[in-house]
Amino acid sequence: MPSAFQPHLARIVSTRDETPDVRTLRLAFVEPDVARRFRWEPGQFAEFSVFGSGESVFTMANSPTRPEYLECTMRAVGKVSGAIRSLSVGQVLGVRGPYGNRFPVETWRGKDLVFVAGGIGMAALRSPLQFVLDNRADFGDVVLLNGARSVADLVYKDEMAAWQDGGVRVIRTVDPGGEATGWDGEVGLLPHVFERLALGPDGRIVIVCGPPIMLHFMFLALEKSGFTPEQVVTTMENKMKCGIGLCGRCTIGRVFVCRDGPVFTWAQVRAFPKDF
Amino acid sequence: MSEGAMASATRLTPDELHGWLAGMLGDKRVLAAVDEDGLRVFRSVERADQIALPTGKTRWSPKEFLFARTETLFAYSVAGNEVTLDGAPVESAEQVLVGVRPCDAAGFLRLDAIFLDGDADSLYASHRVRTTVVTVACDEAGPECFCTAVGGSPASDKGSDVHLTRVADGWLVRPVTAKGDRLTASLAGVGRAPSPEEHAEAETQSTRVAGHIRQSAIAREWAAILESRFHLPLWETLGRRCVGCGICTYVCPSCSCFDVTDTGSASCGERCRSWDSCTFAAFTRHASGHNPRATQAARYRQRVLHKFSYFPLGHDGESMCVGCGRCVQLCPVGLNVRETVQAVVAAAADGHDAGG
Repeated sequence: MPSAFQPHLARIVSTRDETPDVRTLRLAFVEPDVARRFRWEPGQFAEFSVFGSGESVFTMANSPTRPEYLECTMRAVGKVSGAIRSLSVGQVLGVRGPYGNRFPVETWRGKDLVFVAGGIGMAALRSPLQFVLDNRADFGDVVLLNGARSVADLVYKDEMAAWQDGGVRVIRTVDPGGEATGWDGEVGLLPHVFERLALGPDGRIVIVCGPPIMLHFMFLALEKSGFTPEQVVTTMENKMKCGIGLCGRCTIGRVFVCRDGPVFTWAQVRAFPKDF
Repeated sequence: MSEGAMASATRLTPDELHGWLAGMLGDKRVLAAVDEDGLRVFRSVERADQIALPTGKTRWSPKEFLFARTETLFAYSVAGNEVTLDGAPVESAEQVLVGVRPCDAAGFLRLDAIFLDGDADSLYASHRVRTTVVTVACDEAGPECFCTAVGGSPASDKGSDVHLTRVADGWLVRPVTAKGDRLTASLAGVGRAPSPEEHAEAETQSTRVAGHIRQSAIAREWAAILESRFHLPLWETLGRRCVGCGICTYVCPSCSCFDVTDTGSASCGERCRSWDSCTFAAFTRHASGHNPRATQAARYRQRVLHKFSYFPLGHDGESMCVGCGRCVQLCPVGLNVRETVQAVVAAAADGHDAGG
């Protein structure tokens, strides 16, 4: 029996450059049997690898309601993500997973939702957002607040119109100075734009993902707006190697982000030791 | 676990013991504590006379025979757009570890708790199933030893398959598990039942050696106290001495963190797992450069809290540390985890020393 560390093989079907350094890959498993069996939930992740360069963790970027392919959006910042970026359509990479817990989408039924995504954090929220779009009648008012440093750094630009048509109010913002000619979105940091929207806490769930500094100010804004820590859900990232609770590096206190997360409520995150 | 087997202890002469050990050499890989260039280490031996069962412990734990320093997970080859993976052949040859100290056998149980929990690690499991552990009760304690402070004992048979105790002019040999029964099956008709005096001698030795370990207990309740002291400024004071060399994690019987890396080229090579250390800065550093444990003090705190707080809180209070004392003995800057734990517990929650 192959060890848990031996990945499935997946072929790159197509690629799309989201920004100068962010690319979305569409993958198809080489083995038809694996393609049938490999199922995931919104929020789960996998170990993606380039043979000779190593493995790295990325969230599955598409919803399990769209299972024909596996999609992954990554910024080329490290050794493995750089190597993945250098692969072309037709080439093969390794995928093992799915790992981790998931967004509790069933508990969101009938509620109003706000997705707040900063930068590449949008990649982790695309799967639950697509899930909501594909089960749109189950949910109330849905808002996506997506921000980036500049217009050029916004991802999934080509999909926003379809999301809007699908019943999601899409609000995009860039940091002051990041706007470009013809920009018709907001200008301002995500927490400020969130406060301007004046979305009340009643019957609403907020799903947040972004860099640590954004999360910090976003949670302050949410608290100010009257949201309880239980109403706020986030997905964390930490350096991982095994993905299955063994290698020891993604831990925050007693919690293994890979095994116990990556999805946590803000109530859980607040109780963590400040080791992340 | 051992009560029933107690009656089946056999008293062997040194010659009978070596005859038994020599019998294993034919069809099993035998690893024993040997002195090599002034260093005591576990090595594969070919002859029974190489197995001296020396007093004292080896420089580092024999965990590498269950959890290798580096191990191939699979081989890959890439030709154009096609990739072939070959899983590493599963090693099945039986191996016997002879002369394992109780602390190191306790370390195996900690590794079991980590690698055989939930998503069982099939590689570790394959090594575990083919390994038989022959422990030797300690007949002396080193100045670094503190097994009794963390629930162990110099005569413990926990984690052992066959337990040996040295008595005057011979050995008491006692199978502890079914694996131990199989390994001692060849002793049918060899040796004799131990005399009451020999049982008493073993008992006396155990009490005497335990008495030499004068370290006060690390109480089970401290696990929760330690977790609540995460923000204590004392961690910075203690941890800033750490140079991040990782020696404590390499010699530790229960440290089990690892890395997964590729060795080879883009066309062929192997994916391996290797020992890693939570005391290294790169251990937790993200590709973005952000490091959740940015300081050496934060990394030292992680190691201490994992052993004495996070692991026990998830394992019925059992310490992950087995008290072998190697990290205390070998730390180049004199850090002592046992004293660190005591100092953190003694400190008041506001960070000031309570005990004076």
